[in-house]
Amino acid sequence: MAKTKKLTGRKRDERVAAYVFVAPAVILLIAFLVVPMIYTVYFSGFKYQIMRPDAIEFIGLENYQKLFSDKNFWMALKNTVYFTVIVVPCQCALALGLALLVSKKFRGVAIFRTMYFSPQLTSMVVISVLWSVLYNANPNTGLINSLLVSLGFDPISFLNDADTAMNSIIFMSAWQGAGYQMMIFLAGLQGIPRDQYEAASVDGATKFKQFLYITLPGLKGTIKYVIMITMIQAMKLFTQPYIMTQGGPKNSTKTLVYYIYTQGFQKGNFGYACSIAAVFFVIVVCMSMAMKKITAATD
Amino acid sequence: MKKAVSMAMAVTVALSTAATTVPVMADDPVELTIWSPTDTEAIEAWWEEKLAEWNEANPDIQVSREAIDRSDSYAYDNKIATAVTSSDLPDIFYVDGPQVSYYAANGITVPLDDYFSEDDLADFVDSAVAQNTYDGSLYAIGATESSVAFYYNKDYLTECGVDVEDLDSRTIDNPITWSEFAEIAEKCTTDDYVGAHIIMDHGEGLPYALEPMYLSAGKDYISEDGTTADGYVNSEEAVETTSYLADMIAKGYANVEPITDEFLNGACATMLGGSWEIATLEANADFEWGITYYPVNDDTSEAVSPCGDWSAAISKDCENVDAAGQFLQWLMNTENVATYAAAIAKPATRTSAYEEEAMADYQEGSRALIKEQLENTAVPRPRTPSYATFSSAYAEAMSNIFSDAASNGEVDNDYIQSELDTVSDTFTEDYETYYAE
Repeated sequence: MAKTKKLTGRKRDERVAAYVFVAPAVILLIAFLVVPMIYTVYFSGFKYQIMRPDAIEFIGLENYQKLFSDKNFWMALKNTVYFTVIVVPCQCALALGLALLVSKKFRGVAIFRTMYFSPQLTSMVVISVLWSVLYNANPNTGLINSLLVSLGFDPISFLNDADTAMNSIIFMSAWQGAGYQMMIFLAGLQGIPRDQYEAASVDGATKFKQFLYITLPGLKGTIKYVIMITMIQAMKLFTQPYIMTQGGPKNSTKTLVYYIYTQGFQKGNFGYACSIAAVFFVIVVCMSMAMKKITAATD
Repeated sequence: MKKAVSMAMAVTVALSTAATTVPVMADDPVELTIWSPTDTEAIEAWWEEKLAEWNEANPDIQVSREAIDRSDSYAYDNKIATAVTSSDLPDIFYVDGPQVSYYAANGITVPLDDYFSEDDLADFVDSAVAQNTYDGSLYAIGATESSVAFYYNKDYLTECGVDVEDLDSRTIDNPITWSEFAEIAEKCTTDDYVGAHIIMDHGEGLPYALEPMYLSAGKDYISEDGTTADGYVNSEEAVETTSYLADMIAKGYANVEPITDEFLNGACATMLGGSWEIATLEANADFEWGITYYPVNDDTSEAVSPCGDWSAAISKDCENVDAAGQFLQWLMNTENVATYAAAIAKPATRTSAYEEEAMADYQEGSRALIKEQLENTAVPRPRTPSYATFSSAYAEAMSNIFSDAASNGEVDNDYIQSELDTVSDTFTEDYETYYAE
């Protein structure tokens, strides 16, 4: 009996210790995630000019009504979805390709791994500024156009043409982000037993077949994870359009987060910005759940 | 040992709690904080020296400054906006000229009329007083003004066959016209050069530097009472003006994505550039350059130039407005204005400052031209509480129009009209939602 009591006491202690360990994370999550989320939904019901918090006025669902008839909102949503749909497969494929390359053991492989990963260590602001110069339409300034002109092509107005601006941002973003996913894929590749490849090789399977029937199934979990985080990151696209194009030209790179920022801070429509943020949150949650369902169905 | 450590910690906590709960004594100094944008080394040193001087002479009012990164575009304004929401404003903060009415109308700043009499203000150039006045009260006070003029690379223009002596000889009554500007730009556009630089940045620099074009054509962006944009920014005159500017881009006379210091780096032949460029060019240009007055519309010949600069305002959260007012009176005295203006290489707001030794170089040459523009042709940007909304909407529209012109190689006036209509609608919506009575 005494022994049981002692065990219960230890269990209680363990439970208390668990709560103590979890508490800092929970407190931080509540303070910086849950509370702002509740506030966002709360303020979305108000006419709230950021400079005059005293004149705040409850207007119910008016902000949401305005939002659904706001062509800029739909344009921003379309651009965000376009960016996500293109960048996720491109970036993941690039990352997987790089991971396969640097998973081989050869002299100097560490240098390549570092090189591919290094854009990830640089601030997106710095990268955006650098790529703005690389993409500059003037061949005397922009390196890419300088190369195109020297090869006899016409210069391309990468960031100042509505048809090319978003694609230019997609290319640069995939280049910048692929290094991180490459490292995750690399870890996943190392978890696939070597003997499966050896057995396949003995059975006469080509490299492509080995990739198709061993590597890809072996990376299934990793791929799901990488797609999910890339998708959520892509939906939050902000820095690149903010630095490189300011949402232009002709709104072609205006994303939802950029639109929230311009409404909330540049124009001071805080209540309206909150309503866009609330809708954005719902969209991201829905997309994540749909993604989870789709990937679960493939199991 | 554990007990001793616990005891020591308890004592420390008790002492620190006691220290923070001691009531503020009546003779404790007032502490004031200033926010202003991060600036050049010379200005940072000026602040350090001046604040040390004030703090030593006024032990009862101690002032400290926090330099806030302005970055490009609207980063500094965003910092103020977030500080308003969190009631975290400093006692005094610097604000760009056209934003004065925005902050005043929203009650973010307090009037300074008690600290600057009409006699005091008589010494300030009219444009500076007008820009800092909203609804009949003075809400900010600044030491410096600004202007935009037409800079040209003399060496290169001569090579292109432009009569540089004619440009040098222009007076404020006989400035170059838009067609002369376009003609020079056309002559000077080659594979290595563009003829002109007309985009200061993709933020406030657009409405600031280009407004005189619209005024010279006959219509400002917004009505004089600051309530209406419809019929102004989207008027026939505004479309024509915008069309003229877009044409420069479409024909390749000006870059839609100009690099930093495009004129200084010898990548463009002429530039609509700020008065602050003079110091940069004097220090770094390896070519002969000249400066003349802001170009005028061919039909009206109305000479107009931009103005406005950063000014100090007292925030609504300041608990010692009198102390802040006293400090600003001192900060804006003639000597401080003259030394500040000299350090930042901008024209001073006080006319008496030009008699100081620090401003000696404003008596002749390029700086005298800037001063002359300020005294004769300067018009402040629209004074309206919806300026922030207008500014970002206009900048966005102009970027779109310029991009369209650059990619199509021609100007589409219908597109310009639709973009300017959007600016007008955005302004109207903001004004009617928050400020219309």
